[in-house]
Amino acid sequence: MSEGLIEVRVASVADVAPKIREFRFTPVAEALPPFSPGAHVVVEMPGAGKTYRNAYSLMSDPFNPENYGIAVRLQDESRGGSVFMHTQVKEGDVLRITPPANLFAPHWAAKKHILLAGGVGITPFMSYLPEMQRRGADYELHYLFRSEQTGAYRDELKKALGERFFSYDSDAGEKCDVRALLAQGAPGTHIYICGPESLIHAVKAEAEAMGVPAGFIHYEEFAAPKPGKPFTVKVASSGQEVAVSADDSMLEALEAAGVEVTNMCRGGVCGQCVTRVLEGTPEHRDDFLSAAEKSRNDCVMPCVSRAVTDSLTLDL
Amino acid sequence: MQVEMIPGVKSRPVYTPVTVNPRSQRQIFIAQDQIPAALQSLYDGCEQGEKSLLTVVTTGAAAAGGALSIDDLAQRVASLPQSSSFYLAGSEAFMWDIAKLLTDAGFISDQIAMLAPLSKERRLFCTHCYTLMDHVTHSPHVCSGCGRALLVRDHFSKIHRAYVGVQINAEDPADLPAAAEELS
Ligand code: FES
Repeated sequence: MSEGLIEVRVASVADVAPKIREFRFTPVAEALPPFSPGAHVVVEMPGAGKTYRNAYSLMSDPFNPENYGIAVRLQDESRGGSVFMHTQVKEGDVLRITPPANLFAPHWAAKKHILLAGGVGITPFMSYLPEMQRRGADYELHYLFRSEQTGAYRDELKKALGERFFSYDSDAGEKCDVRALLAQGAPGTHIYICGPESLIHAVKAEAEAMGVPAGFIHYEEFAAPKPGKPFTVKVASSGQEVAVSADDSMLEALEAAGVEVTNMCRGGVCGQCVTRVLEGTPEHRDDFLSAAEKSRNDCVMPCVSRAVTDSLTLDL
Repeated sequence: MQVEMIPGVKSRPVYTPVTVNPRSQRQIFIAQDQIPAALQSLYDGCEQGEKSLLTVVTTGAAAAGGALSIDDLAQRVASLPQSSSFYLAGSEAFMWDIAKLLTDAGFISDQIAMLAPLSKERRLFCTHCYTLMDHVTHSPHVCSGCGRALLVRDHFSKIHRAYVGVQINAEDPADLPAAAEELS
C-alpha cells in the first residue's frame, strides 16, 4: 500500500508526558486533507530491517488541519514502532502516512457524549473537542492517567473545558467510578472509550451488567498485534510461502514479502483486511468477525490474527 | 406478482419472536388501544426489572382507565433510565411510530422489540405526491392525494415508516388489473 501515501515533514517533536511524545507533521507538497473528528492515520516507520506501521489518532482541529498532530506513548512491550518514533524521528525528517480514515466518529444524534480517555487514549478526543464546542454539544471528558507516565495536555484541557473536565490520576490514588458514570446516563447518552483493553473491557462489562445496551458504548483501541508462535502463510495464487516470525504480524510478514493486503486500522477492528482461508486453522484475535464467522474458520484478519496450524493457505 | 427488483433483497421488516431482556432495569410494554394476549403473556412472564404495561390510545375511542395519549407517552419515556427495554404491540404503523418516538428520545433500536403486527394493514407512502395513507389492504390502491393507482410494493421505508407505492403501469395508467390483490 505504497500508493496514496502522503509525505509529511516532522515540524516539531515535544515531550508532553513522561512517556508520551507529540509529533506535528506539515505537508511536503500539497495541503493536508481535512478529516473528521476521531480519524487516524497509519504512519510508516522504516526501521532497520523492518518497516513498522502503526495507526495514530489525529489530534488537530479537523477543520483547520495546518498540521497533523499525533502523540505516541513509548510502549513497555513495544514491537519497535513506538521505540522508533521516540528514538529515531527528529525534527525535519520526512515520513510517509496514509490519508486519514475514521473508525471512531462521534454519533451526533446523541443527546450527550461522555468521553472516557485512558492515558494516551486522549488523542482522538483532541479532535472531538473543537467540533463538540462548535456544535454546542453536551459532553464530559473523563481522563484517566498515571501522572508518572501519561496525562498529556491535562492542564490545557482543564482550562478549556472547565466543569466538563474530570481527571483521575491513579498515581495519586484517584479512581473513576465507572458504574456511577454509567448510572447517570439519561437516554441518548453515548459513551466513547479510548484507552487500554482493560479499561474498555471494564466499561463494557459494567454496561452489560447494568443493562445499558452495547449500542451506546463506542470504543477504539489500537492494540498492537501480539506475538505468537511462528507459522507459514501460503499465498494460493503464486504458491509463495511466507514465514511469520513470533514478533511479526501476518500482515507485516506478507507486506515484507511484497504481497499486498488491503488494510486500514491494523488492529482487527475495521474489517478491511479480511482474507479467505483455504487451508489450515486460524487463531482469531480480531474484534471484527462475529463468533459464528470465527467458528467457520474460512476467513481471517491478518493484521492481528495468527494460525493454530503450522501453516495457513490464504486466497491471495 | 414479483415486484422485487433485486432478487433476494427484502426490505420488508421481519418480526422475529420477542424475548425479554433480563438485564434491563425498566421493562416497558406498550400496546395500541388494547393489550393483545401475546404482549400480556410476555409481560406476565417478565421477572427482571421494574415492569410497566401501557396502552396508548390511537382510535379516538374513549380511553379506558390509565390509557395514554401519544404525548403522555413521550413525557413518560423522557424520565426513563438508559437501561430500559421496550416491547411494542399493535399495527405495524403504530409500532414504527412508537419506535420513532423512542429513538427521538435517545433510545436505540437495540432496546426496542416489536411483536408481529396485529393486522395486515399497511401504511402506504405515495412516491408521487408524498401522501401517507393508513389501513391499506389491497394493491393497487388509489392514492387519496393524487388519485393515481398505486402498486403497493414490499419495500418498507424506515424514514417514512411506510410501504412505498408507485403508479401502476406508468406507461398506460388506464391499464389496470381486473381486480385488486389482497396484501399479505
Ligand atoms: S486492517 Fe482493520 S481489521 Fe485488519
